[in-house]
Amino acid sequence: MAERRATADAPPAEGLGRVLVALYGVFALAAGARAAVQLATRFSEAPLAYLLSAVAAVVYLAAAAGLLRGGRGGRRTALVACAVELAGVLVVGVLSLADRAAFPDETVWSGFGQGYGYVPLVLPVLGLLYLRAQGRAQKSPPPKSPPKSPPPKSPPPPS
Amino acid sequence: MTTALVVPTTVVAALLTVAGIASTAARRRIGLVHLVLAGVLEALLVVQAVRAGVRLAGDAELPEMATFLGYLAGVLLLPAAGVLFARTETSRWAGTVLAVPAAAVAVMVWRLLQLWEAGSG
Repeated sequence: MAERRATADAPPAEGLGRVLVALYGVFALAAGARAAVQLATRFSEAPLAYLLSAVAAVVYLAAAAGLLRGGRGGRRTALVACAVELAGVLVVGVLSLADRAAFPDETVWSGFGQGYGYVPLVLPVLGLLYLRAQGRAQKSPPPKSPPKSPPPKSPPPPS
Repeated sequence: MTTALVVPTTVVAALLTVAGIASTAARRRIGLVHLVLAGVLEALLVVQAVRAGVRLAGDAELPEMATFLGYLAGVLLLPAAGVLFARTETSRWAGTVLAVPAAAVAVMVWRLLQLWEAGSG
């Protein structure tokens, strides 16, 4: 990874971030493949739902790329992507239950992602929590702190 | 596309998922077990793709051909991408990174079987 340096002083949760990237990657693939098929074969049936599938795929891809790149720009990209995703899954979830005619075919986000084990609903929340934890961990220590030495032992209290 | 092939594929994918999570729990990186399991999984998926391709080139007709082909090709990418990605991860989370696509494969092969049986059932 070329961007290794950007994450060199990232908190230990970096590996966990990779897990999120893998999840986002799988969902970008799933949503993207579905959107490509739907748009190519029957766009006129439900243009709104199928375009949303495509948007979902792009958003997942952006989140994966943002998390993978790290650094400030990457984190901001991931943050926006996760927020859009959360809004999307909530709005589409409500709409797909309220107006079934507009969503005759499943999308990743319909029914709050029930076709995908509700992972689309959980994923943005996990992403936002991870980003927040990472932001905190990077803010608290001074940027170029030397490797931590064990805390100075306080002399045992006189007894 | 038969249950005879989908079941072993699911078993191997499940084993890989468990192995990945286990190595994370044990605070280890991925080892030979993971690579072998991923290799077997990929081989099973290739066999599946070739068999389905031969049948489709023959007479088989599916109502959702495009979706089926998308899944068939997409599922092939997952174990390979998972291994490549997990090997760049140097922490104990490498196992979980590999477990994610493995679990996805386990789900996708059943969806593939569903799509297949809708046609030739």
